[in-house]
Amino acid sequence: MSASGTGVVAHHFDNLRQQQSTVRLGMWLFLVTEVLFFGGVFCAYTGYRVWFPKEFEAGSAALNVGIATVNTFLLLASSLTITLGIRAAHAGDVRGLKAYLMLTIILGTAFLALKGREYQLDFHEGLLPGTTTLSAGAKAHEAAHSHGDAPQEVVFVRNLKVVLHEQGYKTDGVDLSRVQLFFMFYYIMTGLHVIHMIVGVGLLVWQYILAMRGFFDHSERYVYVEVMSLYWHFVDMVWIFLMPLLYLAGPHTFAQVGEGLKVAFGSH
Amino acid sequence: MSTAVPTLDYTPQSIPEPELTPEQDRKRVNYLNHAYGLMSWLLTVDHKRIGMMYLISVSVFFVFGGTAAGLVRLNLVSPTGAILELDQYNKAFTAHGTIMLFLFLIPVIPGVLGNFLVPLMIGAKDMAFPKLNLLSYYVYMAGALFFLWQLIIGGLDTGWTLYPPYSSKYSHTNILYAGLGVYITGFANILTGLNIIATVHKMRCPGMTWSRLPLFVWAMYATSIIQLLGTPVLAITVLLLAIERIFGIGIFDPTLDGDPVLFQHLFWFYSHPAVYIMILPGMGVISEVLTCFSRKNIFGYKAVAWSSVGIAVVGFLLWGHHMFVSGQGYYLGLVFSLLTMFVAVPSAIKVFNWTATMYKGSITYEAPMLFTIGFLFLFTIGGVTGLHLATMGSDIHLHDTYFVIAHFHFTMVGGMILAWLAGLHFWWPKMTGRMYSDFWSRLAAVTVIVGFFLTFMPQFVAGYSGLPRRYPNYPPEFQFWNILSTAGASIQGIGYVMPVFYLTASLFFGKRAGSNPWRATGLEWQIPSPPEPHNFPRTPTVYFAPYEYAIPNGLAEHLTGNGHANGTHKPTHEGVASVS
Repeated sequence: MSASGTGVVAHHFDNLRQQQSTVRLGMWLFLVTEVLFFGGVFCAYTGYRVWFPKEFEAGSAALNVGIATVNTFLLLASSLTITLGIRAAHAGDVRGLKAYLMLTIILGTAFLALKGREYQLDFHEGLLPGTTTLSAGAKAHEAAHSHGDAPQEVVFVRNLKVVLHEQGYKTDGVDLSRVQLFFMFYYIMTGLHVIHMIVGVGLLVWQYILAMRGFFDHSERYVYVEVMSLYWHFVDMVWIFLMPLLYLAGPHTFAQVGEGLKVAFGSH
Repeated sequence: MSTAVPTLDYTPQSIPEPELTPEQDRKRVNYLNHAYGLMSWLLTVDHKRIGMMYLISVSVFFVFGGTAAGLVRLNLVSPTGAILELDQYNKAFTAHGTIMLFLFLIPVIPGVLGNFLVPLMIGAKDMAFPKLNLLSYYVYMAGALFFLWQLIIGGLDTGWTLYPPYSSKYSHTNILYAGLGVYITGFANILTGLNIIATVHKMRCPGMTWSRLPLFVWAMYATSIIQLLGTPVLAITVLLLAIERIFGIGIFDPTLDGDPVLFQHLFWFYSHPAVYIMILPGMGVISEVLTCFSRKNIFGYKAVAWSSVGIAVVGFLLWGHHMFVSGQGYYLGLVFSLLTMFVAVPSAIKVFNWTATMYKGSITYEAPMLFTIGFLFLFTIGGVTGLHLATMGSDIHLHDTYFVIAHFHFTMVGGMILAWLAGLHFWWPKMTGRMYSDFWSRLAAVTVIVGFFLTFMPQFVAGYSGLPRRYPNYPPEFQFWNILSTAGASIQGIGYVMPVFYLTASLFFGKRAGSNPWRATGLEWQIPSPPEPHNFPRTPTVYFAPYEYAIPNGLAEHLTGNGHANGTHKPTHEGVASVS
């Protein structure tokens, strides 16, 4: 490693090697705090899932597993492209770096767009804890099956019943009101993940701008891409945990993956 | 065969200071005078200037927290409450707790002394991430603003622990602002801890091995581990609390099918280790001050160093002792009771080693040493009474009484604040280049210790007799103890105000301190006071363990082959480390 470029090493470091290993250590330490941050909410999730297993299963069954599956593959692919980006930066191939950064940005943005579509569908189905708006599906269903008496349950349960009915899910012995708790965790956990994704995409864009301005012309600065990729991999890893905890907690079939995608991209 | 044995001379010796005229001294470039103007401070990335900014902030918050404590104590003079309405009383003790813990005790030593000293002690030019360091100061101030804002718009009445359902259904006060304050200051702590760990790992100068690290640095390292691992859990807990309040879905509130004990688990998983975030830096200060004023090497360096890490690790395993009567499992309580006693072991190792360090030392009683001796007595009482509370059987009797208050304040005030004052007085000459009044500082130390003892000793008695904490009214038979306590608090208050005057006066009228007024070892004492902007003109090299007070003059130069330190033509002080 040649530390010839005087602008590469900051004033308080003795040499390039010290600076690079310090930067790496800093990001690893930050990721430790992130693990503990998500760890707290995973602990709370675990506690309630042990206490209310059936309710969590029912909640999971109402989620769109198709979008989640596609999103998983998008994120795994983005981890590959960012790693190829480090390789390009290390080799001094700025054009390659820019291409891989752009690919990663596209994959990350596609994830966010699909996640947004999923939230929109959830909202449309009225799967918000404490909601007071009866979904269109529930209105139609209750109109068709009405026996004259108004339902006693909270609005969320009436919305949820329709969604689960369409899935063919049996709700015997399930306290449907408690499923709100599952959805609470669903929104908190995926919401925190989405915030981290937005920060990650922002960092990618920032590094893309740096690459355009010639910051990475000095190949030893590849370490900043590497450190940013650590964060990106971490956010990817969180999703790898969220996918089974939220989407696979209930029974799903491969057919439902296709159906979920049809709903997501369908015209209705 | 004759072997030349150097004559050992342990008597304190005066060090010849470089002959600088006041004129020359004023012209010397240091971190305080190399740039002027508000922006040169607000946008600085110099760890020393950031440390001074923390000093001003935490001092202001200490005044706020202290005023709230004064209101509480004044109100308790009368069994029916002397000055405050019932809800005002709740808000006063909550303001005292939240401000003192989140805005003063947690950031005070890491923010001020940690920032200022860690790079100096390990021979670095700055922290590993100087910009992050400045950011963490502003994040801390942003969090503090939320605390102040919620105070201004009506205060908080849940107690500092924010337990649901106090903080969920029944409270109409500003939980969200306070929660946001906790959340944001937490991030500042994380960033500071991250920075210190990276600095200690990567920025040490040649020869500064782990077994030569000053014990203050070891303590700061252990503190940072806790900050890094514990604080994120508090952040997510407060976030869940806020979501529960905003959306009305039961996570912690039992009336909404939530579980309040889950909140307590998550809260104490951070907040119990947090008391070690508060006390560990203080223990580091004590190790530095005690060796200097005893003129002796520390007894059991490795034991003191590793006991800091031991406290950090064991400290994470005993949060459940806050919940002996909260309905957690009986066997869980037994396990937590046992684990809690384990943490007394590393704490006791420290106290015994400090005592052994003082044994047959040439002790002098300057103000930092008086504070340190006060620490040893008061912290030991605080620690031993902690065992009464760790024992599940006696805790059921003592839980939520003034006994707990007294125990906590013996460790946090008698321990931590005395250590903070010891550290401030010890390094003040290094930070400012000026000596303060010897007489007034010693008087302040004695006043604080006497006042403290009078404040909190009666609370042990009152608490053991059954006086519960946080009540604005009490049966008349407890009035005697409460009046004693309030009288003590007034004396303590005078003791805390005195340093404001003599330390400020020292800036204008104080004698010039010279580089090493205490004849202490350690790299920070080998450079002029106040230090230069980049600390060391050249990267120093360390040849000795940190507290070699017993190495006679001359031997060090012989061993290092280097008689001049720092280009100022000054002998290396008792040869601990030389700046080459």
